[in-house]
Amino acid sequence: MFVTVISQAPAYHLILEGILILWIIRLLFSKTYKLQERSDLTVKEKEELIEEWQPEPLVPPISKDHPALNYNIVSGPPSHSIVVNGKECINFASFNFLGLLDNPRVKAAALASLKKYGVGTCGPRGFYGTFDVHLDLEDRLAKFMKTEEAIIYSYGFATIASAIPAYSKRGDIVFVDRAACFAIQKGLQASRSNIKLFEHNDMADLERLLKEQEIEDQKNPRKARVTRRFIVVEGLYMNTGTICPLPELKLHFEASQVSGLSSLLVLRFCKPAAGTELQTVSCCSWADTEVVLGKPLLTTFSSVLESQPHFVCLFKDTLFN
Amino acid sequence: QQNGKPHFYEKPIVESFEEAPLHVMVFTYMGYGIGTLFGYLRDFLRNSGIEKCNAAVEREEQKDFVPLYQNFENFYTRNIYMRIRDNWNRPICSAPGPLFDVMERVSDDYNWTFRFTGRIIKDVINMGSYNFLGLAVRYDESMRTVKDVLEEYGVGVASTRHEMGTLNKHKELEDLVAQFLNVEAAMVFGMGFATNSMNIPALVGKGCLILSDELNHASLVLGARLSGATIRIFKHNNMQSLEKLLRDAVIYGQPRTRRAWKKILIMVEGVYSMEGSIVNLPQIVALKKKYKAYLYIDEAHSIGSVGPTGRGVVEFFGMDPQDVDVFMGTFTKSFGASGGYIAGRKDLVDYLRVHSHSAVYATSMSPPIAEQIIRSMKFIMGLDGTTQGLKRVRQLAKNTRYFRQRLNEMGFIIYGNEESPVVPLLLYMPGKVAAFARHLLNRKIGVVVVGFPATPLAEARARFCVSAAHTREMLDTVLEALDEMGDLLHLKYSRNKKSARPELYDETSFELDD
Repeated sequence: MFVTVISQAPAYHLILEGILILWIIRLLFSKTYKLQERSDLTVKEKEELIEEWQPEPLVPPISKDHPALNYNIVSGPPSHSIVVNGKECINFASFNFLGLLDNPRVKAAALASLKKYGVGTCGPRGFYGTFDVHLDLEDRLAKFMKTEEAIIYSYGFATIASAIPAYSKRGDIVFVDRAACFAIQKGLQASRSNIKLFEHNDMADLERLLKEQEIEDQKNPRKARVTRRFIVVEGLYMNTGTICPLPELKLHFEASQVSGLSSLLVLRFCKPAAGTELQTVSCCSWADTEVVLGKPLLTTFSSVLESQPHFVCLFKDTLFN
Repeated sequence: QQNGKPHFYEKPIVESFEEAPLHVMVFTYMGYGIGTLFGYLRDFLRNSGIEKCNAAVEREEQKDFVPLYQNFENFYTRNIYMRIRDNWNRPICSAPGPLFDVMERVSDDYNWTFRFTGRIIKDVINMGSYNFLGLAVRYDESMRTVKDVLEEYGVGVASTRHEMGTLNKHKELEDLVAQFLNVEAAMVFGMGFATNSMNIPALVGKGCLILSDELNHASLVLGARLSGATIRIFKHNNMQSLEKLLRDAVIYGQPRTRRAWKKILIMVEGVYSMEGSIVNLPQIVALKKKYKAYLYIDEAHSIGSVGPTGRGVVEFFGMDPQDVDVFMGTFTKSFGASGGYIAGRKDLVDYLRVHSHSAVYATSMSPPIAEQIIRSMKFIMGLDGTTQGLKRVRQLAKNTRYFRQRLNEMGFIIYGNEESPVVPLLLYMPGKVAAFARHLLNRKIGVVVVGFPATPLAEARARFCVSAAHTREMLDTVLEALDEMGDLLHLKYSRNKKSARPELYDETSFELDD
């Protein structure tokens, strides 16, 4: 039937159809081209790029009279009076609250341990860097702070900057005071958690944030069950000098527990000299705080191995991990 | 190199990372597999209450809180690490010199808790502490200056560098460090780890590129992450991988915007602590000059221990200190103190004095420690009038070569460069790791064993740190014990054993010449 159709069609029609079919075939098999020619860089062009590239200088230039370059040179022990640039001044600048940096008993103890142990530890805690004095100090700290166990670090900044990422990971939520010190900020940055700031020492603001979080949780209960929440406050703020209102915080802690909010674990960064006053002033026990980090303002009682040890007191369960 | 002219390193660099035979790897993975299965079994028993749970439990009032540790995160810690936990964190009660005293501790409940028996194991040979030049010893008369500084300045400086924390001791120390390394200026900080994590963010930021070696230390990785720059990793000590990354970076620029990078910083270490390899410095410097990148070198383990006079890898290869942009190092390992430094050109150090996080927020180094470093550095440089320092550096090099050569002859698999004082000996299987450490402690030798996660899963190892204070007898005692251990535990996996008589390598016949 097809053949009869073809033979009955007029000739010009067949020729036109034939030309159209050939044209389609040609179009199908011809190379496509794009409007903008793009090809890989040639080797010569790559070499030129490498030659031309100029990085910024490693460090930008600093003016010669920046105040930090002209240090105040201290040439004596930083006790109640201090010798700065040759002049003797009353010292309102060092963090020497209890004045123990110059105490003869401390020095005698340091000297005794210098004689026994030398100066350095030559290794991290895991590889023969743990001395009996470290263990002794940890026991005493735990007793002093009335917690079960403690762990010490050798550098203050690094204590909190490592402790926060150890607990709080990506996806967890941390409520932190706006005036938290730089070490806390670095710790939070390293932990990659969600950070929610509340106004300095403002418990109402914290409550508002907690309520917002509760609403969020109800939207997605499965996720809420696995995100941990932390509150980070300082006992005595380094930036503003105010004390954190612990009793009110504790009330919020309990209240929110009653209202069904998920876990709250509190990290506290405080100076124990001020901290002991804090304890009497606010009349609540350390048993309610999970983790206490502190900064003694003197070296360890019996060794000079570390210059500024800092510690973390925990309950035994959390310490092991 | 006092005249500053570099002479390039002519000897061939011999580094080996031998692979273990196949059956060893199979057994290692099987070991971990069995451990994991048992771990699941024990977890099941603990959860269902059949077995008493010794691990962390939440307090009563926090039972409905979100748990602090997800169960799987510390599966490894609970089940595998816990069984052999007694080989780490061993407390000692004397100075960490070549011989030390270890406190004996036993566990009644399979390593969940420890109890000290009160006995002390005396005179254990120390192959674990980073005491390369033997400077970490009990007090003797040469440490008189440290005692004087302690009495005069007290025990600490409770202030930051920018406030009241710069003592004249710090200034003296910084000048000495600059002289030691043959650079223009230096700055010291209170802790080695913190030196890296606080100064790298000050040098690079967003829009910069960091090329870091695969096996860099955690402090370098943390500093790089905190800085916000893009990080790309090249294979360990592999110059082709590094060159490819550099070329791609310079030609194609930033990933999506194709803008040029602001700066490129290459971060390497002098001696890698887990592998014992030494960085291939001449080639890296050549690459750096060609592609105009900056070089940051972390000499934590190599300062004081490598090089003819102990000045680190730059001197080891005979190169010019001007070629490296940022020198970083710590004082914990060879100088017997604590703290870190960054050294380089004066404008770099001035910039860090102003902008480093550590200078602004963290307390500065304590004065007796600064004095100890000054004393050790003078000792090494010979400024105290004797050649004892130089002798120690040479002794360390001799000890290293002897130790490595003997271990190679015995047939152990040793990683790393021939000249590096860090000697990793591969153990592979987790059970052998524990047995090795415990048996050697019974023979009064203290070693450090490392497993996952500090090393790859299948490559657990024992790491020896040779010290200049080890005498030939001590090294021989250790080597004999290792020989016996190797036979007992079947650790001699090496298929490239070198002969003990190298003078016979070129002989063509063993006939006696008549």
